[in-house]
Amino acid sequence: MIEHKKKPSLSQRLASLSVIRAFGSKLGKVSGGMMILLVLVAIFAPWIAPFDYASQNLLNANVAPSWPHLLGTDEFGRDVLSRLIYGARTSLSVSATAIVISISAGMTLGAAAGYFGGTFERVVMTVVDLTWSFPDILIALIFVAILGPGLTSTMFAIAIAYLAQFTRLTRAQIVRLKNETFIEATINLGAKPSHILLRHLLPNALAPVIVVGMLAIGDGIVLEATLGFFGLGAQPPTPSWGAMMSSGTAQLFLSPWVIIFPGVVVAITVISVNLFGDELIRALDIRERIKED
Amino acid sequence: MNNLLEVRDLTKRFESGGGIFSKARSMHAVNGVSFNVRKGSIVGVVGESGCGKSTLARLILRLIEPSSGQLSFNGNDLMANNAAQMRALRKQMQMVFQDPYSCIDPRYTVAQAISEPFQIHGLSKNTDLDKEVAELLLKVGMNPALADSYPHQLSGGQKQRVSIARALALNPSLLVLDEPTASLDVSVQAQIISLLEKLRDELDLTYLFISHDLSLVEYFCDEILVMYLGKVVEHLPNTSTPAQHPYTRTLLDSTFEPDPDQRREIIALEGEVPSPFNLPPGCSFAARCQHSTSKCQTNVPQLEVKGSHLVACHHPLAAI
Amino acid sequence: MLEVNNLAVAFGSIEPLSSVSFSLKRGEILGIVGESGSGKSLTALSNIGLLPLQGGRITKGSINFDGQELTTLAEKDYRKLRGGRIGLITQNPMTSLDPLQKIGSQLDSVIKLHLGFTKSQARERTIELLISLRIPDARFICDRYPHQMSGGMKQRIVIAMALAADPDLLIADEPTTALDVTVQAQIIMLLKDLVKERDLALILITHDMSVVAQTCDNVVVMYAGRAIEQGSVQYIFHDAKHPYTQALIRCIPHGLAKGQKLTGIRGTVPTVKNYPKGCAFHPRCDRAEAICSQVQPALIRKSNAVVACHILGESA
Repeated sequence: MIEHKKKPSLSQRLASLSVIRAFGSKLGKVSGGMMILLVLVAIFAPWIAPFDYASQNLLNANVAPSWPHLLGTDEFGRDVLSRLIYGARTSLSVSATAIVISISAGMTLGAAAGYFGGTFERVVMTVVDLTWSFPDILIALIFVAILGPGLTSTMFAIAIAYLAQFTRLTRAQIVRLKNETFIEATINLGAKPSHILLRHLLPNALAPVIVVGMLAIGDGIVLEATLGFFGLGAQPPTPSWGAMMSSGTAQLFLSPWVIIFPGVVVAITVISVNLFGDELIRALDIRERIKED
Repeated sequence: MNNLLEVRDLTKRFESGGGIFSKARSMHAVNGVSFNVRKGSIVGVVGESGCGKSTLARLILRLIEPSSGQLSFNGNDLMANNAAQMRALRKQMQMVFQDPYSCIDPRYTVAQAISEPFQIHGLSKNTDLDKEVAELLLKVGMNPALADSYPHQLSGGQKQRVSIARALALNPSLLVLDEPTASLDVSVQAQIISLLEKLRDELDLTYLFISHDLSLVEYFCDEILVMYLGKVVEHLPNTSTPAQHPYTRTLLDSTFEPDPDQRREIIALEGEVPSPFNLPPGCSFAARCQHSTSKCQTNVPQLEVKGSHLVACHHPLAAI
Repeated sequence: MLEVNNLAVAFGSIEPLSSVSFSLKRGEILGIVGESGSGKSLTALSNIGLLPLQGGRITKGSINFDGQELTTLAEKDYRKLRGGRIGLITQNPMTSLDPLQKIGSQLDSVIKLHLGFTKSQARERTIELLISLRIPDARFICDRYPHQMSGGMKQRIVIAMALAADPDLLIADEPTTALDVTVQAQIIMLLKDLVKERDLALILITHDMSVVAQTCDNVVVMYAGRAIEQGSVQYIFHDAKHPYTQALIRCIPHGLAKGQKLTGIRGTVPTVKNYPKGCAFHPRCDRAEAICSQVQPALIRKSNAVVACHILGESA
């Protein structure tokens, strides 16, 4: 009575992975390819960068894009391309780490609030909503005031800035899933709350959170750049796209490449991340679930 | 011990509102329900939407905490069990849900869904899970080759078979079936019903069958409980006993005969089901009943033996 | 009054409906029965020109309504017909009612639109209509919103909407599926009375064979987008030749004695995307032979019935 279904082969299973499916469209290929390229550049920075990012050569300062300095040099004669390549390390790692911290904390809080409900839920959600009502930059300033300027403050600032979003999203998912029949059925099989949470609720809530997290990495890069621009983020000589732009303002008319190239890189990165995130939403077919929050 | 399940005065009130602007109201979803389920029998619970039949099923399994009442399963006082004891006991009492589309985790394959009960009870180490899954699938009439499919690849009937297999995994003695065929096509409904009949004979199961379909309940069940607004209004000990409660009679009259030569006028039931938030003081059916008297408006009829069986009515109808 | 001939419908490359023909007279109830995915609702949609909204189109055949060819009708003229001479009753009343408008004004506007009445004339007719549908307290109901009413009452309002412009043809698509049995009985009896009182033609689309037995004059049994058997209701219930029709009747538990087996039909209802080759029913048919999986059986006329089967079953 039932047609025989073969076990899916490895390639079929790979093809069914949402991340792979997001590459299906032209937009997905371009944006996804761009992101992979950026990550590779960040990882292999020491091998790719033509010069040392910190070595100064004042004789060579403010050189326009030319051989061997393809994107020119800055006021200290440092190679802009090399600093951009190393800057990718700072920007991507700080933003990604911050978002991972934010997701872990947000999912834990959101899941607990959604699952247990009651007063606990109300307290958690009120506190979390409070963090949302402060501008990101203000939260960042608070951390800088406490911890002093630097990447750690930047990271915490980004993590806190997005905490509310992940908490709310996770809670909404858990509350929705909690009423699904399969949860009731599993409880009726005699499962403990921990089993329900870890095996059913969280895995089913994960996909939308991952996608929103991905989009948040893009925003995180901008926030990192902003803080760097104000001198609150990465401290010299650590290269960061934001800090590079900041130092470029002084010679805006003399050597515009110092500020233009980091700006372009930030824009390309953020656009790629956002476009790929959109493709991922499409591939996972979770547009509705993200709006639910 | 002949009774597998004994239900006494089971009641569930849902509180609602009680915010700043509204007064708290309580609703009697299930109101003083008592009955026994004999080992090996099929007891049907029939009623229209909102009569509390699905809540009753969940109360019996303590998926919803009863407000009051006693439950005894196989001599065990269920209400005295703590959470851990209850979890252990769930092996023996399982449920099949109405909606086959959401009763399996969409991320689980058929095999994972069926092995889950073993894992939950820590039995997976001493069990050959692949073999168990294949046997259970065969038991419910499915090709074991489907073990690696995901729920969205299966039809509604197949999904319902998987949830039956999952419920049977731990060898339960009681199966609560909450409208298991209501969202299936008629040709598939008949398959599932005959599968349930076969399983009962093979595995010595006891069923509590919840349904809105009186003709299905009449065909499938040994005893029938008719519910109206949270109460059992009639308990038919077998399907040949004529109904005495006017509501049961109306339900029977509203069921269409599948025979064009036996067309009949149906006397439409008047009025609407009263709001469960605001129950009338007497018999809840009185406002819609042709036979109601002033006594019905004021006195709540008790479920007691009148004639051949239990009826909650001041003026039970004589057998036709 | 209505004649549908060899109708076929396509959505892109899939053809969920093909070679459906039937006719209908005034005062007659035609039942279209089938399980999910059998194309019964599509048949209704194509009759009232709503297919394009769903992305489908009629590829073959004709629909003749009172001398007017509908397949070539412009959307503008269709609009006049719908809600005017053809009324539609849907399964879910909430999809036909505007949740933000009072019942009375919803009915008034339909009447004004199709009959050109003034406001007060329209309200008068609305009240008349509600009373004729045995709705108590018609004036009070006019001032209520849809969410303030029970499912059965909402379905009556939808019927009132369909009847507002005094149609000649009523199409009811699973009008009672979402309702409780006692309410279902009320609505079905009401529809039957309306057909008699107003000399309407009614197409009743349903999956419920018992409802068909109690109401219809003629029946079309659909499976996988095709009419596989049609005839008078007596013929379908007592004399059906197609194995699917016979099996469908055997699936009804009603009146079945204990011990009598409820058989069901093995396998699953095919979905639009994978209609089987040849006779669509052959994978589930006990009598299927080699030819059934190869050749699509043609509709054969048998006295006063039509059946599409290579191996005619014996009568049930």
